[in-house]
Amino acid sequence: MQAKIDIFSKLLRELETELGTHDVAKLMLQSLIESVKGFKGKNVDDFCEQFARLEKIISSTEPKFGILNYHFLNLRELFDHEIKSKTFDVKKWKHLVIKSIEKILKKSNQEKEDLIEFADKLNIEGKTILIHDHSHTVQDVLAHYKNQGKNFKVVIAEQDFEKTHSNIERMHSAGIPFEVVPAYMLSHVHEQIDMLFFGALTLKDTMNFVMDPGTHSIISEFNVVHVPVYMFIGTSKFSLWKSQRRSEIFIHRHTMKHHAQEIEYERIKYSHDRVPAELFAKIVTNNGIFTLEKLKVFFDEMMTKFGKKE
Amino acid sequence: MITYIALGIFALSFIFIVLELYDKSLIALSGALLMVIFGILSPEEAVAAVDFETILLLLGMMLIVHIASSSGIFAWLNVRIASFTKGNPMAIFLLFSLCTAVFSAFLDNVTTVLLIVPLTIELVRGMGKDPRPYVFATIFFANIGGAVSLIGDPSNIIIGGASSFNFVQFLQNMSVPIFFVTLFTLGVFILVNRKKFKPIANDLAELTIANVIIQKIKTKFIKRTIHKDFVYKALSILLLTLLGFVLQEFLGLPNYVIAFTGAILLGLLTSKRLSIHESLKSVEWPTLLFFSGLFIMVAGVEKTGILSAVSNTIAHSTSDMFLLSLIVLWSAGLISMVLDNIPFVTIMVPVILGIQAEVVGADTSILWWALSMGACLGGNGTVIGGSANVVAIGMAKKHGVNISFLQYAKFSVPTTIGVLTVCSIYLFFRLN
Repeated sequence: MQAKIDIFSKLLRELETELGTHDVAKLMLQSLIESVKGFKGKNVDDFCEQFARLEKIISSTEPKFGILNYHFLNLRELFDHEIKSKTFDVKKWKHLVIKSIEKILKKSNQEKEDLIEFADKLNIEGKTILIHDHSHTVQDVLAHYKNQGKNFKVVIAEQDFEKTHSNIERMHSAGIPFEVVPAYMLSHVHEQIDMLFFGALTLKDTMNFVMDPGTHSIISEFNVVHVPVYMFIGTSKFSLWKSQRRSEIFIHRHTMKHHAQEIEYERIKYSHDRVPAELFAKIVTNNGIFTLEKLKVFFDEMMTKFGKKE
Repeated sequence: MITYIALGIFALSFIFIVLELYDKSLIALSGALLMVIFGILSPEEAVAAVDFETILLLLGMMLIVHIASSSGIFAWLNVRIASFTKGNPMAIFLLFSLCTAVFSAFLDNVTTVLLIVPLTIELVRGMGKDPRPYVFATIFFANIGGAVSLIGDPSNIIIGGASSFNFVQFLQNMSVPIFFVTLFTLGVFILVNRKKFKPIANDLAELTIANVIIQKIKTKFIKRTIHKDFVYKALSILLLTLLGFVLQEFLGLPNYVIAFTGAILLGLLTSKRLSIHESLKSVEWPTLLFFSGLFIMVAGVEKTGILSAVSNTIAHSTSDMFLLSLIVLWSAGLISMVLDNIPFVTIMVPVILGIQAEVVGADTSILWWALSMGACLGGNGTVIGGSANVVAIGMAKKHGVNISFLQYAKFSVPTTIGVLTVCSIYLFFRLN
C-alpha cells in the first residue's frame, strides 16, 4: 500500500505542477473511467473493495489533494448505495460506475462555470491584473473576461520557465494583452497594478491556502502597498479534515555546480507556499464571493457535512 | 614493407577505435591520411576508394528521418501505442518491441532508440516497475529490426553497396531469419521476465496508475504543436521513398538517388516549417567521415594483396558453403558483440568478394546474408556492441535508470548466442 501511495504522491505532484489542480482531478477521473473499463476483478463487491482501497491511497498522498478526496468520497458513497452487493452483471455495474464518474466530471466542470459566473461580478474594466501562478482557473476567468469584450491588461510575474510559459501561451491564445516582469522586480510596477489574481491547490482548515511557491512574498508585498489580492478556488478543492501536520510542502535539494568554477553548492527548492487567507481581499468560489469571515463559516459548514479526520 | 605499414596503420586505427582514444571519425580519417602520406594509395586512389553511393544513401536517409521526426509523427504514433497498451506490462513489452523492430527497419537504430526509450521508461517506471527489461528489449529489437532491410543498419548499407543487392532482395532474404530471431527473442524475454509482465487488470489501483501515466503522456504530447500539413508531407515522402526502394529495379535508379530524391523533395516541401540548415545540422557528419576514412583504409589494405590472400585461404580451406557461412556468421557475430561492427564489415567486403571470385559455380550470396546477420545481431551482445546500445544505456541513465555492463551482459550474451544459433539453423536449412 505504501509503495502505491508513494507512486500516486509523485505522479500527482508532477501533474499538479504541469496542469494545475482542477485539471489533475479531471485527468484522474478520466483515468478512473479507463481503469473501470479495463478492470477484470471477480465481481462488483471486489470492485467496491478495491475502490475503497484506492480511495484510502488517494487520501494518503503527500500533499493531499482536497479535490480528489472530495470526488472519491462522493463516488464511494454513490457506489456503496447504488451498486455494492447488488446482482448486476459486469456490463451493468461498469456502466453504472462510469456514469457516476461522468456525473462527478460534469459537476466539476459546472463548478468552474459557476465560479466564472461569480467572477463576472468583479469590476476589472480598464484595470491591470497581475498573475503569477499558472492557475487554470485564473486563466479561464481571464479568457472569459476577454470573450466578453472587457478591456484589461495582464502583467505576468515571471517565475519557473514552464509555469511562466503556460501563462504566456494562454494569454496569447486568448488575445489578452500582457507583459512579463520578473517576480523579483515587481516593486517597480506597484503603481501600475490594480489587482492580483491567484489560484490554489487547496484551502486548509487553518485558513491557509496551499499555493505555488513564491506567491506568499508577492501577496505580502502587494498587501503592504494596499493592492487588493483575489483568490479563485472551487470549493471541491477544500481540505475538509483537521490538519495534523504540515505535509504539503516538499523540499527538493539539488547539488549544483558553478557554471565556470569548481564550486559545488546545495540548491533548495520548495514545492508550495502556505498563504493565510486573511491576505486576500475576496475569495471567489463557485458558491459565491467570500470575505475571510464568511469563508470560515462556509468552510466549517462544509467540513461538518463532508469532513473526516485524517 | 608497404604491406606491414598498411596493416600497421589499419591495426593501430582499429585499436584506437576500440579504446575510444579519440573520436572514431578522426581516427579513421587519420588512418586514411597516413595511407596516402606513406604512398600506399595515391590521392586519386584514395578519393576513388570512397563509396559515395553508400555515403549519399546514408546522408539522404539521415535527412529524411530527421525531417520526419521533427514533424512529430513518430512521437504521435508512440503515444497512440502507449494508449493502446492500457498499461498492461505484457502489451507494453510486445507492442513497443515490435514497434521498435519496424521503426528500425526503416529508420536508423539510434533515432528509434531515442524515440522509444524515454517513453517506455516514463510509462513503466511511473507504474513503479523495473524499466530495465524494456530498455533491453528496445536495444535488441532495434538491432534485430535494423537487420531486415537495406537501410536499417549501416552494416547493411555497406553490404548493399558492395554486393549490389537491392532493398527487395534484402527483405526477401532477411525477413525469414529475422522472423525466427524475433520469435526466439520474444520468447526469451517473456520467459525471463514472466513475473514482471504479469497482467494488472485485476488490480484497480495499478490500472489507475497506468491510466494516469498514459493520460499524462497524452497531455504532454497534446501541448506540442503538431502541424497536420507537415505530418502528411513527411509521411507521404517517407512512404514514397520506401516505395521507391521496393520498385528500384523497375525505376532503374540506384538506392542513393531514391533516398536523395526523397530528402530533397521533403526539404523543399517542408522548408516553411523546418529550415534546411537545421536539418543539415542533424546529419551525423562524423559518421559519414568515419565511413569515408574506413573505405580509404580498407582500400589501402586491399592494395597490399593481403585481403585476397585471406579470401584465397578461406575459399580453399573448405568447399562447404554451410561451413563458410557459419565462419562468416559467427566471426561477425562474436566480433560485433564487443567491437564496432562497421570496420569489420568494411574489411570483410573485399574478403567476401574475393571468395566469390575463387568459388566459381556455387551460390555464394549466402555469405553476404551471414555477414549481415552476424554484424547486426551480434551487436546485441554487450552494451558497447552497437551505437543503439550505447545511446539507449545513456538515455536510461539520464532518466535515472542505471544499467551496468554486467547486468546487461548477463541477459544479452546468452540471448545473442541463442540468436546466432537460430541464424545457424536457418543457414543449415537454406543450404540443404
